[in-house]
Amino acid sequence: MSSITDTEIIIEAVLFASGDPVPLDKLAEIIGHDRKTTKMIMSNLVYKYQNSPRGIMIRQIDDGYQLCTKPEMDEYIQKLGTVRKRQGLTPAAYETLAIIAYNQPVTRAYIEQIRGVNSDSVIMKLVERNLIREAGRDDAPGKPKLYETTEEFLRVFGFSSIKDLPPLEMNEVPEFLENVPLD
Amino acid sequence: MKSALTDACTIKLENFEGPFDLLFYLIEKNQIDIYDIPINIITEQYLDYLNAMQELDLEIASEFLVMAATLLHIKSRMLLPEKEPTEEEAADPREELIIRLLEYKKYKEYAKVLGEREVKWSKAHYKLPEAIPAVSPENEIEVSPAILRSYMLELLKKYREKRADVTGRMQKILNREKVSLKAKVREILELLGQGIRICFSKVFSIRKKSRLEVATGFLAMLEITKAGYAAIEQPVPFGEIYITPGRKNDDTDPMPIIEDDM
Repeated sequence: MSSITDTEIIIEAVLFASGDPVPLDKLAEIIGHDRKTTKMIMSNLVYKYQNSPRGIMIRQIDDGYQLCTKPEMDEYIQKLGTVRKRQGLTPAAYETLAIIAYNQPVTRAYIEQIRGVNSDSVIMKLVERNLIREAGRDDAPGKPKLYETTEEFLRVFGFSSIKDLPPLEMNEVPEFLENVPLD
Repeated sequence: MKSALTDACTIKLENFEGPFDLLFYLIEKNQIDIYDIPINIITEQYLDYLNAMQELDLEIASEFLVMAATLLHIKSRMLLPEKEPTEEEAADPREELIIRLLEYKKYKEYAKVLGEREVKWSKAHYKLPEAIPAVSPENEIEVSPAILRSYMLELLKKYREKRADVTGRMQKILNREKVSLKAKVREILELLGQGIRICFSKVFSIRKKSRLEVATGFLAMLEITKAGYAAIEQPVPFGEIYITPGRKNDDTDPMPIIEDDM
């Protein structure tokens, strides 16, 4: 393809038809550019959509791109009357999810140590909702299962990748903990 | 133990996720500095809450009880005078609890952020994918009369094989229909009419006839005997069965037609 504009037209059509996120490699193959160039074109396009008077935008989710409506348009879309409302999560689920997101892959024991309560059923619910998944087993006694977040997690919470998670605030270390007496 | 907190709890019993959640509630409620927890007050209020739960017959998860024990342990350690503090013991007894509380707080706050983000991003809508069939160029074949011919021949060959197979099976079905009780009765009667003694195993040899035929022959023999046209004898158990003309055989009455249900 010759011009950038032509390429962008193709990408738009492909993303629309796909519905699901289209992996960067696939896009590169379709438009006939290498990964690096494609990535630049995509970053540019994501920015363009975000800042132009359009109802749709492109989201980067992990290594793929997906078209969606802008969140601000929700009140109008609701009037279509066919949009299903997702059931919210419980506070316990958010807590557990936060611990997994920042420490993944992580065992159930680790989660329970931080939360101070049994987290069996919460973890099961999160797996059911496809927000987390099993990620092999830890090399510790009993070979406990490890958990990590999914692409669905990124989608639901508006992240483009795990690196996109806001930095955890470092708690101020209280003085009496820092200055352990030396003598 | 009746206190202001007990009343508050019975009125509005918050649902706590765990002991840390409850501790935070108490810390915030009392506007306590997390780094300098007045362990007396917190322990008392924590136990008050557990008591309130008990009064309401609520099940208290074991984790809450463990925390109660931890709090009491810290409290007792703080009451005891320290004797010659070594390096390790010099640390504040609350230290471990505070570290765990801070760790928990970090995620509790972040859980809130997650909730907010979810609200925002649940407002973005996605389209279902189109069903686009994959086109693979490798599947394209060159077509020439010769190739078509070879495919056609192969097809015909397969068809013939298949048909031959079916014919075989169909014959079997026909075979089976041939074995009828009526025919076997007639067969035995004809032999008896010749006035000879029949060896069952010779006439209905399992080697020459199908299992079904032998079984039907056996049934026919029993039918004939029952009707009185033949008599059977078997000198030895499992031995040869002999069929001889019965008392009615001299009569000209034909054998009554029996139901052919085979």
